[in-house]
Amino acid sequence: MAQDMEALYQQRLKRYTTALRKGKPDKVPIRPFVAEFICNVSGYTCQEVTQDFELAFEATRKCCLEFDWDATVPNMVYLYGTVPQVVGLRYYGVPGVGLSPNVGFNYVEPPEDSNSFMQPDEYDALIADPTGYLFSTWLPRVSTEVVRPGQPATLRNNLSFLKGGMTMMNYFSAFPRAIERMRKETGTVSAIAGILKAPLDILADKLRGYIGLCMDLMEQPDTVLAACEALQPHMFQIALASADPTKTLPISIWMHRGCVPFVSQEHFDKIMWPTLKPIVLELWKRGHQVLFYAEGKWGAHLKTFRELPAGSIIFHCDRDDIFEVHRVLGDKFAISGGIPNVMLAYGKPEEVRDYTKKVIQTVGRDGGYILDAGAIVQNDAKVENIRAMTAAGREFGVY
Amino acid sequence: MPEQPQPNPAPKPGTVVPWEQKIKELPPMTGREDLVKQQWETYDAWAYTYIWHLVVSF
Repeated sequence: MAQDMEALYQQRLKRYTTALRKGKPDKVPIRPFVAEFICNVSGYTCQEVTQDFELAFEATRKCCLEFDWDATVPNMVYLYGTVPQVVGLRYYGVPGVGLSPNVGFNYVEPPEDSNSFMQPDEYDALIADPTGYLFSTWLPRVSTEVVRPGQPATLRNNLSFLKGGMTMMNYFSAFPRAIERMRKETGTVSAIAGILKAPLDILADKLRGYIGLCMDLMEQPDTVLAACEALQPHMFQIALASADPTKTLPISIWMHRGCVPFVSQEHFDKIMWPTLKPIVLELWKRGHQVLFYAEGKWGAHLKTFRELPAGSIIFHCDRDDIFEVHRVLGDKFAISGGIPNVMLAYGKPEEVRDYTKKVIQTVGRDGGYILDAGAIVQNDAKVENIRAMTAAGREFGVY
Repeated sequence: MPEQPQPNPAPKPGTVVPWEQKIKELPPMTGREDLVKQQWETYDAWAYTYIWHLVVSF
């Protein structure tokens, strides 16, 4: 039994990695990134899988046994809700705590007034010492527990670091075991390793807020560029430190609001791309592929992405026209995703089957395609639709 | 004119309190400095991971 599972794992690993490198495997690999969808299969609530990562791991394994997937993430409910609780982070709504236990966690946009997590005149401090700024200025603002240096230390301040450190370490340390259990018990491959974000997204997501950043892009664009340049080596460091040492699996970059129309073409060309591209190039130089998880629509920038070396990225298609993505990028990069989440939530299994067939027979025609939903699958997706997508993948995805 | 104290330069990525700064605060090394340095840097890197993963992952 164990030998059978290992053989299945090796077969799936070969299929997945062949497609990542734009090759033609025996079948189109199936790799859905399932988050709160695991609740629909396991019966757990969103609160349970958000607050107890062992339940999330278990629910993912249950999905792996239920569906014939080649790869997935051991826990795609990426917020482990206990971390924001013990650190007192203000920017999350956690299911079961003020929110229904049956909804996914909420991200709360940073305020852009005097309560902003970073004031517009603080760029110089961030640029001079990003890590020091985060510890001394940013963290006391985003946390209900942490006090600024120079203020009287409090018990709650001290406990936030103690508990926060232990909680985060406990979570990260649990992943290798979860990956191993997924392999041995379900024969499923862990799909990604390592995390990257664009410097401009970091400014919008966690520091200035989107509105605040837009004001800064108009009023002090050179300073924003300098801040992105200062963040760049840290994004690289975090990506590299968390990457797969065997260089088999890609580092994922979660691409948020760095595209038109969230920012102008000029700001993309002068700030977003010049501070992201060097990170991707350096990772590629060291043998790491990057999964461009292009959330939303990135159609305005597809030609720009062609500047990257062939094979250096896998382009994940969310709400773009995947056939156009394939036409523009298909000769250089593998492509994943493209099955609309709206269809998975509100469509019928026959629609999902037909659309999956069309994508496989067009985008996946010559290999280099990984079947997946457009975005992370939450609990609005119907089980029968995920089943239809998986079945269509197996029915039409044989080379 | 006395030299003005220079602020510490920003630590390199992966570092919060560099060993070069910490060792100045310690009594003279009478044993293996490399061992102390290695342990310091291991946990300092975790502190770095902590703050940057709050920004990137949490």
